[in-house]
Amino acid sequence: MAEDKSYNKPLPEFRPETKPYWEGTKNHELLIPRSKESGEFFFYPRALSPGEDMSENLEWVKASGKAKVWTYAIHHMGPTKAYKGEPPYVVALVELDEGVKMMTNIVDCDPHDVKVGMEVEVVFDDVTDEVTLPKFKPVK
Amino acid sequence: MASNNPHIEEAREILKKNKIVIAGVGETEQGKIPDKSSFHFLSQASKLAIEDAGIKKSDVDGLVTAFSLVEHTFMHCTTFADYFGMRPRFFSSVAVGGATAVWMVAEAAMAIATGQAEVVLCVRGDNTLSGISSSGMVALIREMCHAEFEFPYGLTTPGGYALAAQRYLHDFGATREHLAAVAVTMRKHAALKENAMNKEPLTVEDVINSRIIAEPLTKYDCSIISDGGAAFIITTEEKAKELGIENNLAYLWGMGQGYSHQYLTTLHDLDQIYNAINASGQKAFQTAGIGPSDVDMAFLYDCFTITVLLELEGLGFVPKGEGGPFALEGRMEIGKDLPVNTHGGLLSQAHLGAMHHVIEATIQLRGDAAGERQVKDAEVALVHGNGGIVSAHSTVVLGKEPLS
Repeated sequence: MAEDKSYNKPLPEFRPETKPYWEGTKNHELLIPRSKESGEFFFYPRALSPGEDMSENLEWVKASGKAKVWTYAIHHMGPTKAYKGEPPYVVALVELDEGVKMMTNIVDCDPHDVKVGMEVEVVFDDVTDEVTLPKFKPVK
Repeated sequence: MASNNPHIEEAREILKKNKIVIAGVGETEQGKIPDKSSFHFLSQASKLAIEDAGIKKSDVDGLVTAFSLVEHTFMHCTTFADYFGMRPRFFSSVAVGGATAVWMVAEAAMAIATGQAEVVLCVRGDNTLSGISSSGMVALIREMCHAEFEFPYGLTTPGGYALAAQRYLHDFGATREHLAAVAVTMRKHAALKENAMNKEPLTVEDVINSRIIAEPLTKYDCSIISDGGAAFIITTEEKAKELGIENNLAYLWGMGQGYSHQYLTTLHDLDQIYNAINASGQKAFQTAGIGPSDVDMAFLYDCFTITVLLELEGLGFVPKGEGGPFALEGRMEIGKDLPVNTHGGLLSQAHLGAMHHVIEATIQLRGDAAGERQVKDAEVALVHGNGGIVSAHSTVVLGKEPLS
């Protein structure tokens, strides 16, 4: 996707423990953390597994990028001034094939075509030189 | 409904022995009230509650406050103690979002039961409507979601609730009308409450045709923002008598909390929310020794219409998925099956967390609600708060008579 130098919407502030995730998205790879002790994926990324194991022994696994829409909300108003005058956009919670959920935007389709259960796949939006946001589009 | 849980039985004994009561309430004018600071509202509401109880300021020895969305302070309770001119021997700031006001009652009760204080002032006030800057509003929205993994996608607070609502509609085949009916009932009740911000009648069609905020939610599915303060005084029946308090008292019968998630990203399914609401309610119900059918009126956190349906169902007033028809049939209205938010709630009266829910429950139990707003034979009330995006829950059960 085209890079927009004037991007002024909210950007993530990276924490030390989430750097690999954002380096991954910059390389157009969706990396999901997994505990090496329990073998369980989790999301959002944290320094320790949120499971019973509390493990710091983690690995980043490249996700398939396939997901299903769990729920969605068509936003007609955004959280900041930067959204003023923008057409409605879809914020969704999608469930990845790996079993975890993530928040995202559903793009490349009419917002009213989005449905719960719809199959979607990851696309990478290079919103600035430093930040790439993984978004999802319907599987054709 | 006896509990097999020894901790619940112990809590019940503590509440029976201490006879914790709400002995005074105070609410300032609510609405758009410029030129008054957050601490001005806090002070006014405190004064009104102290006067309502008919006690002296110096009789108060405990203080529970919350937080301000406008005037951020590191130690809110003691900042207010300084401003108001008091030296409480017990002080605490409760900060669990919309679950705060209900939990203030519990916080005060625990302080009293452990000898920390005898007369606790619980107060919240804010100039949210007039005082919040646009950057303050953005900061608030950002705080309501995960700043790194949710906010960059443009999630708003109504959007978060819209995500829950959309899934609810999907899971149960519920409709927009079901959600809208909640707002309609709240507006009907607000019309009966003198100190309410929005009173003009509203129909289901009005709600559905109002400005779309985040589908499936429109403007009237969202609570109002207001300025104002509200306070209540918690003590024991014995101390109330000693102080010569003449108000009818509202007795604390039970309390509980339940937690689901902080961020929607970690929500597994709607059952996770129901389970948190249910855990909160069950702890309160079991301590009180009652069940949902014993409740005469409910005060449910209504920051958005969807929460009322989730709470009705999670608390066990109606089966899952049946909150919508219950609302649409008008069964939450005064005089019907289960009057809900007889003051008009956050959707129509004012938004100060659940402060007004606690106060209205007390006024109803006292028999002090004006005219047709008074629920007949109101003896048992439930108040439920929800913080975050249906994340953190708190419940209290209050009775007209002491817990027996």
